Order: sequence, then C-alpha cells, then structure tokens
Amino acid sequence: MIRKRQWTWVASVAGLAAAVSLMAVAFGVSANRSNAAPQHSHAVGTLRAVLDTVDFLDPQQAYTGQAWWAMWDVYETLITYRHVDGGAGYKLVPGLARSLPTVSANGLTYKFKLRKGLRYSDGSKVKASDFKYTIKRGFLATGQGVGFYTGIVGAEEFQKNLTGDIPGIKTNNARRTITIKLTKRRGDFLTILALIFAAPVPTGTPSAIQNGTIPSTGPYRIINYDPSRGFSMVRNTHFKPTKYIPRGNPNRVDVTFNGDANAAVQKVIDGQADYTNAAIPPDRIANARSRGQLKLRAAANTYYFWMNTTQAPFDKLQVRKAVNMAIDRQAMVTLVWGGLGRPTQNVLPPTYPSYKKLTLYSRNVSKATQMITAAGARGAHVTVWTRAVDDAVTAGQYYTSVLNDIGLNARLTILPRSTYYSTIGNENTHAQTGWARWLEDYPHPLDWFDVLLNGNRITAQDNNNYAWFNNKKINKEIEALKKEPNLTPAVNARWTKVEKEIMQQAPWAPWSNRVFPEFFTKQMGCIHMQALYGFDLSRVCRK
Amino acid sequence: MAEHAVDPSLDTPALLAAEEHEVAIVGRSPWYLAWRRLRRNYVALVAFAVFCLIVLACAFAPVYAHHVAHTGPNDTHVAETVKVGGKEKVVIGGGAVYDPKTNTFDTSKSIIVLGPTWWHAHGRFVLGADNLGRDAAVRMLYGGRNSLIIGIGSAFICSVIAVILALLAGYYGGWVDWVISRFFDLIWAFPVLLLAIALGSALSVNGFHHFGIHIEPGSLWIPVLVISYVLIPYIGRPVRGQVLSLRQKEFVEAAVGQGAGPIRIMFSDLLPNVASTILVFFTLIVATDILTEAGLSYLGAGVRLPDASWGNLIASGQQQIHTAPWLAVAPGIAIVLTVLSLNIFGDGLRDALDPRAKVRIEH
Repeated sequence: MIRKRQWTWVASVAGLAAAVSLMAVAFGVSANRSNAAPQHSHAVGTLRAVLDTVDFLDPQQAYTGQAWWAMWDVYETLITYRHVDGGAGYKLVPGLARSLPTVSANGLTYKFKLRKGLRYSDGSKVKASDFKYTIKRGFLATGQGVGFYTGIVGAEEFQKNLTGDIPGIKTNNARRTITIKLTKRRGDFLTILALIFAAPVPTGTPSAIQNGTIPSTGPYRIINYDPSRGFSMVRNTHFKPTKYIPRGNPNRVDVTFNGDANAAVQKVIDGQADYTNAAIPPDRIANARSRGQLKLRAAANTYYFWMNTTQAPFDKLQVRKAVNMAIDRQAMVTLVWGGLGRPTQNVLPPTYPSYKKLTLYSRNVSKATQMITAAGARGAHVTVWTRAVDDAVTAGQYYTSVLNDIGLNARLTILPRSTYYSTIGNENTHAQTGWARWLEDYPHPLDWFDVLLNGNRITAQDNNNYAWFNNKKINKEIEALKKEPNLTPAVNARWTKVEKEIMQQAPWAPWSNRVFPEFFTKQMGCIHMQALYGFDLSRVCRK
Repeated sequence: MAEHAVDPSLDTPALLAAEEHEVAIVGRSPWYLAWRRLRRNYVALVAFAVFCLIVLACAFAPVYAHHVAHTGPNDTHVAETVKVGGKEKVVIGGGAVYDPKTNTFDTSKSIIVLGPTWWHAHGRFVLGADNLGRDAAVRMLYGGRNSLIIGIGSAFICSVIAVILALLAGYYGGWVDWVISRFFDLIWAFPVLLLAIALGSALSVNGFHHFGIHIEPGSLWIPVLVISYVLIPYIGRPVRGQVLSLRQKEFVEAAVGQGAGPIRIMFSDLLPNVASTILVFFTLIVATDILTEAGLSYLGAGVRLPDASWGNLIASGQQQIHTAPWLAVAPGIAIVLTVLSLNIFGDGLRDALDPRAKVRIEH
C-alpha cells in the first residue's frame, strides 16, 4: 500500500507535468492557428478594431490619439480636415460650417455660417447657439483642451467664475451664424477650432463626462461603451455626406480594448480582428508583416524625457545637458520600437517647415558622468516617472539605467495610464523627470512650443509643461509669434531659432520621432492614412 | 529484532528501545521524536534540500553576477556583442532599418534578442538576454532573492503578529477576543490579492511616512508589510483556536494558581504547546507569501521595476512570449519548484510534529 506522502509526491509531479504539457500545447496551437477572417465582398460590413484604450468618448474631454481617431467620424467641427492622404490632409475645409470663415482684417473676428438642415443623431436640430454652449461646457467640465479657447473675449472671466456669458461668441439661430471675437490675434486659431474639443453638442448636455452618449453630427454615432471592453460605432441616419465628409464605408465599427500589444497583434493574425494600432512588439515586426498588412504612419510626434527645471538635480543646466549626452537615442529606437522611428534631439518632428535637425549633444557617457560630478549631483536621488504601457515602461527602464550609469541614484515609478499625466502635471507631485510624448493636435509650432514650453502657460494642475520650463526671453518670443497669422519663411526661421534656444537650455531629452505601425488583415483594402487622424476608417474596404 | 513499522510516525517507545539494543528506556522529548520521524521522510528531506539549494543560489546572486556573468541585474547591453562558442553575437540585433534616401523602413527583420548561451559564453547570458539586453540568469537570481526575502520576511512578521494576537485573544477571551476576532474577520473579508494590490499600489508611489515610520516607495518593506498584513488571519485564527482549547487545560490552571502572570503563562506555557502548529504554518505561509508576491509584482504592485522579482520577470517576459518564451517560463518554473518544495516539506513537518496526524492516516 503506498503511503500518503508518496501519493503527494506522485500527485505533485503529475501536476507539474500536466502544467508543462498544457503550456506546450498552448504554444503549439498559437503558432499553428490559421488566419480565419470572414469572407466578404468589397463591402466592409463590420470593421473590427483593437485599440489599447481611449481616455474619453466625450468631445470636450478626450485628448488621446485613439479617442480622436474614433470621434473624428462621430463629432464634426465647424471646420475640419480633408479625408485624403499625405500633406493635403492638413488642409482645412468646411465641416458643419457652410464654408471657411470670413476673418476680419485685424485677425480678431471670425464669422461662420452653419450648413442648412443639420441634425444630431437623435434627430434634434444643430443650432448656432450650441457652439457657444459647447465652449462653455468645456470650461464647466474643466476639459483638457480649454486652454486653447481662453483667447476668446470673455472666456477667461467665464473660466474663473463658471457663470455668466462669453460675450466673445455671438450666435443667431435663425440665420445660423456664429461670430467669434478674440482678445489677441492668434495665427493658429482656425486649427484650434478644428479640434474635437470644439465639436458642437446639444445645448443642455450635462457638463459631467458623457462617454459615448452625446448625440453625434458625423457619419457615425457611438453605442455600447464599456470602459473595460470597448464600444461600437453605427451609422448616424441623420447625417448627410458632403464634398469633404464622406458617408463612411463600414456599416459598423466594433472596437475592442486590449492593452496587451502581443494579444492585439495576434487577434489580427488569427482573423479575430481586422485592424489594430497596437505597438507591434519589436521581436514580431517581421512576423506581423508576413502574416498581415503592416502599414507605417509617420505622424508628427516626439517622444522625450522631461526634466523639471525647478527640482533638484535638474534645476542645474549641466545635469540636464549631461542627460542629453548620455542617452543612446538609436539604441532606444531599436529597443522600444524595433527600429520603427528616427532618433532626434529636436522638439519638433521633421514634418514642420521650421524643422532644422539639431545635433547639440554627442553621446559621451564618461563626459556626462564628469558633468554630473562637477555639478555636485553625484548620488542624487531621482524618481523617474513613466506610465504603465509597454513601450513607456521599456523606455523608462532604459532611461533609469542611463541615469544610474552617469552617477545619479534613480528609481522608476510606473503609474496607471489613466492618472499619469494628471500626476506629473500637478505641481504638488514635485516630479523630477519622466517619460512623455506629444502627438500634434494641429500642424502649427504653437501646438508644441506654446503648450509644452511656454512658461506663461504653466498651471498648478493639469500642466502640460512638465519641465516647468519658464524662460522669460523665450516666452516673449513665443507670445510674439502667436500673433503671426501665417507661417512664412521668416516666421519659420524665428521658430527654428526658438527651438535651438530651448534645446540649449535642455529642459527635455527628446529621443525619437516614432513611426506608427498600423496592422491589418490581408483581406483589408483601401487603407488610407490621414495626416492627423491616422487610419481613415471611412474609406476602408475589403479586397 | 521486531520489524519496523513502515510509517516512522508510528514509532513507539518499545520500538525505540529495540532499536537502541534493548538498553533502558530513556524519555525523549517530542521534538526529538519529531526529528526522528522527519529524518525518515526522505521525500520531505529532498524537498527541503531543493528549497535550500534555491535559497543558496539566490543568496549568492551578487557573487554570480560579479564573478561569473560580469554584469549587474539592471545593466543593459544593447549595442554590445558577446562571444558565444567562438562566434561574435549581438546582444540585441536586427529590427527595422531606415533608408534616408527613400525615406522608407525595411521591416523584414524583427529584433533578435540573444538566446541562452548555456555556458558557451563563459558564464555570460546563460539564459540569454531580455528585451533591454540584461542578463536573464542574473535577473532570475536577483529576482529570486527579492521574492524569497519578501516571502520569508513577510511570513515571519505575519507569524509574529498573528501569534501575539492569537495568544492575547485565546488567553483573555471576552472583549479582547471579540475585538481581535473582528480584526481578523475584517481582513479576512477582503479577497487577499485585491487587498494586497490596493495597498501595494497606494504605497508604491509615495511610500509610507506615518507614525514616525519612513519607508521609501521602492523599498522591499512595502510588499513585505503589505503581504504580512493581509495574511495575518491565516495564522491567527487557527492558532487562536488552539490557544482557546489549551487555556482550559489543568496545567494552565495550575500556573494561574501558582500566581504566574498572564505574560508568563502565554509565553512559557501556552506558546510552547502551539509551537509545532506555528512551525508548520510558517513553512506553508512562506509558500503562500512567495505566490502572493509573485502575483503582486506581476500586476505591478509589488517589487518595482527595474528591480527584479520572479513575478515581474514573468510579466516582462510575457512581452516576448512568442520569440523568447523561456524569459517567462524560467521564473515560473522557479516559483513552482520553490512553492512545491516548501509545501512538501511543510506536509512532512506536519506529519512529524503532530502526533494526532497518525490517527488520520489510513491503511
């Protein structure tokens, strides 16, 4: 008779063997699974997309590329961008407005007229006064984009008191007119109006976050939003296509959330999804390319490490310069993106006319170490902040090891993506350094320098100037350039100079302009990339 | 000489006398008897040896890192090469290549991370490199160090607190027992892992700076204290039950009658009688704590990156599960071996220490 302890041993070994066998089977099944996409004609029917997440599906709140990708076809703005490929996609065209606005000679007054017969997806009429309500709602809801609209007459007062009117916006529902008056001329104001923050919503929409429940004006409307699962987009039956805004090919778009890039890519390979914009794991790029369609999108973006110029040891210029000299930017592009990116030391990406490649900091780790010692920062405790997304964690770990290599005492803190930006943008956090990226909201240098590096725009909370960079001379130049209505060669030359002066102060250690992989099944066709919003789902088809 | 019973836990004094060549019967302590039973349980001893081997290997992680692998656990070797069997190999190579002339990327190659060299590189990258070019074997050992420190440390702290509370509750009874039991119930009401994640996440950002105690955010004390706290009832409740029943025994009444104070009675009379239970629970709770730590670190609420633990190594290795599965599997196997060996040893210890267990053995 076998004793009890021998049975325990036998059972334990059998259990271990079973577990190993199951894992081997799982790998084998995963490797051999075939691409079983449904058979369709050219019609798309339902487009199945996998995104990692969206922050909000409320136009006055959302501020991520993924959310805007979806909502560009849901919430229309007075003016919008063309549904075309390449640089032509940056051209502003009428959206809800009948035409581009008339602008007064002094650049302070913009007049729009809405198209006739506009309706929301619930059938209610789109009124001119809804635009004013929308701007007010942004302030009431402390939306992330409200800073763009404080230049409207009366907006700053409304932001302080949250009651009353914004006299700078005058509307006439009968005539369908909207007149906007600014306090100061602003060269990027049209592009600001094209931001989804300014997409009209029905008057009376609660200022509390409304994810996917606000009636839409675009070709689709959102249904079934579940923050842990995803959402769907179905046709807005009250939408009428225009010359610039197409009806949209898919009848329905089902978006599933999956934060695991490997799993998202595998879903497309296995035919369980048609598209994902997940960061292809660097070790699977060739595999993905062979088993699907890998498109690369060169969106205007910069990935960087900010260094808080008000917090030791980064309050010392020598330390910030040392960090710039220590980072191996090409190695980071390889590690984090699998090579899908270009190293950079610039704030602006190369898509801008004012871009001139900067090579201020040659890599020299030993010199960087000496500079840290000379600055008296050797052994200084540093907390590196990053968010809980694979590429950001990888970049954060590498950056932490670099800081330790040059003599700092760095530790990594990883925050959930939902709280990351609000935490590092809060002055009470006293965050020293960390990961960040910027994808352009609109194609203008102001979207970079004014938002991210103008000391006058620093706020105690939800601050976007994570370096707390406040250089009076540079601030003054940015404010002056804000008034320039057009990006002439002379204006661009001034932006180039501003960028160089900023990087000489090194509030950032920029490291790459990423090239975004967009991954599709082999059955998808008509794949077009819009310059600002990425994969244009309205034009997609099946082969 | 009489045949020995197959089951050593059934040793009787007569048997022992026969073994000792029929000399006069000498009284042996329960601990000696337990040791004799344990040393005949070869399975438990082998399991303990495996556990000790794992602990030793992890304890010597700095020696391995410095003298064998010649690298630290967080040192990246991205653009470096290693000689493997005489051939130069890149630690991290491949990847998309940008052609500035055509402004396009050649995506025909993925990143290739150096695989296991199995000692063909003179001890470097024995288990290969991870996605940041770090030595996976070095990180495994350092990860084991952290996981074992947290597992054993939290088990010790948990046991000390739980035993003290159980002694107080069982000895005094009444409202003291009521308060302590409700405290156990309060912790017990929460799912262990969820409570640990909530506490770990909350403390991992700013650390703990209250009541004169200062613990920095990255400190191992955070997961140690969090895991100790959430598992207190797992030892406290059974020990409390035993103390309650022992409290009614005559020897305790005798001690009370002789004027012994509560502290003396709890620690000199009651504690030795529950020591065997505590010892068994301790080994089992170490295994539970190692698993809990692995779960917490996997979810990002335990040991903070870039420091390694077996849990966060599995999470990191998961990113390369398709191309380098050993990065996730190896720490998983380490956890399984450690927990299994502790559980088997714990079972053997219980059989050896608890004489009543022999009554439950079925023949």
